Amino acid sequence: MGTEKIKENRRKFFKSSVALLGGTLLYSLLKPFELIAQNKEGAVKEDKANDTLWGMGVDIETCIGCGKCAEACKVENNVPKEPFYFRTWVEQYTVKNNGKVKIESPNGGIGGLKQSVPDKDIFKSFMVPKLCNHCTNAPCVQACPVGATFISPDGVVLVDATYCIGCSYCIQACPYGARFMNPVTKVADKCTFCYHRITKGLKPACVEVCPTNARIFGNLRDRKSNLVKFLQKKQTEVLKPHLNTHPKVFYNGLSSEVK
Amino acid sequence: MPKVIFRLFSTFVVFVGVFILIQQYLKPDSFGKYGHYRANAINDAKLIPLQYKGEKECITCHQDIYDLKYSDLHDAVSCESCHIPKILATDACKTNPPKVEGSNEFCGQCHAINAGRLKKGPPQLDFKDHYEKQNCIDCHNSHAPWELKK
Repeated sequence: MGTEKIKENRRKFFKSSVALLGGTLLYSLLKPFELIAQNKEGAVKEDKANDTLWGMGVDIETCIGCGKCAEACKVENNVPKEPFYFRTWVEQYTVKNNGKVKIESPNGGIGGLKQSVPDKDIFKSFMVPKLCNHCTNAPCVQACPVGATFISPDGVVLVDATYCIGCSYCIQACPYGARFMNPVTKVADKCTFCYHRITKGLKPACVEVCPTNARIFGNLRDRKSNLVKFLQKKQTEVLKPHLNTHPKVFYNGLSSEVK
Repeated sequence: MPKVIFRLFSTFVVFVGVFILIQQYLKPDSFGKYGHYRANAINDAKLIPLQYKGEKECITCHQDIYDLKYSDLHDAVSCESCHIPKILATDACKTNPPKVEGSNEFCGQCHAINAGRLKKGPPQLDFKDHYEKQNCIDCHNSHAPWELKK
């Protein structure tokens, strides 16, 4: 009787193992088809998004520090007028004869930057417009605990204001200091490349008003765009390349003093 | 199946079920469509009203001024570089004209002397030596400042 029971059990065991194996095989057979079906849909969407990858070029050699860009940004995006909320701002770097570097940006450069160091002490001086670098490996996106900041399919780092919980981790994570806490909405705020303008075929407000064309905006994937021409013509650099953030804002004439 | 295992198993199933239900309830509509974020937020970012309308809008009424400005040195300076849209400029520019006073301070944003401004850039003036008390547009033609007023 005992051996009979063992036999029965063994049969049961084999049956169930075969069923499990069969099920797994069937599932693994069907899975690729499912993926293909999904991929087809995804591929179409991705192709559409892959046409555009927004970026910006900044020409330090032509920037005159008039601050029109910082002003236009505040008007266009309804940024609070207090002098410590900026989506973009202009800094003046002054290297003195004694080797010290003075960095200043009174009111973000709005109203024009004024020379504060007498001529005789200046070794060199230049203006650096700053904004969100729209990193490909964005530290702010990695830091966000709820998925409220993200990189859109066309490469712009955006903040979902309705989903942000205002923990300000992203502000600490940003190595470029490009984010701030909006005192009105109480959520993180930053440059969006004027997403509402660029998706309508317009240029961002800062690019629109720049009187010397020191800011060049365009599609990095379009070889005929002004931006790609700019990148091909000039020797551009990005800010803090050692952080491996892969920014999409490229500077021409960047000095080693710029942080 | 022993009772203990059954209890443990059923508790586990109930726990997972409740978790999935709550997650479904709390998760926003389009979350996870493109990645770990709400896909509709992309559309939200597009909805902000435009303030700067671009030169095309200005040209519809002010073609003559545009041509004058475009004819020489200020060709790269957009209308809205100086005329900041106060409240939806093109809708209200008749009732609320975006006037510019053309003071030393205003023109000095680009033309005041500064070591950081390149010498080959816009002409730079030390306004202390150049009619300090007067407005620039008292003498200069406002839309063609390279010309003097007659």
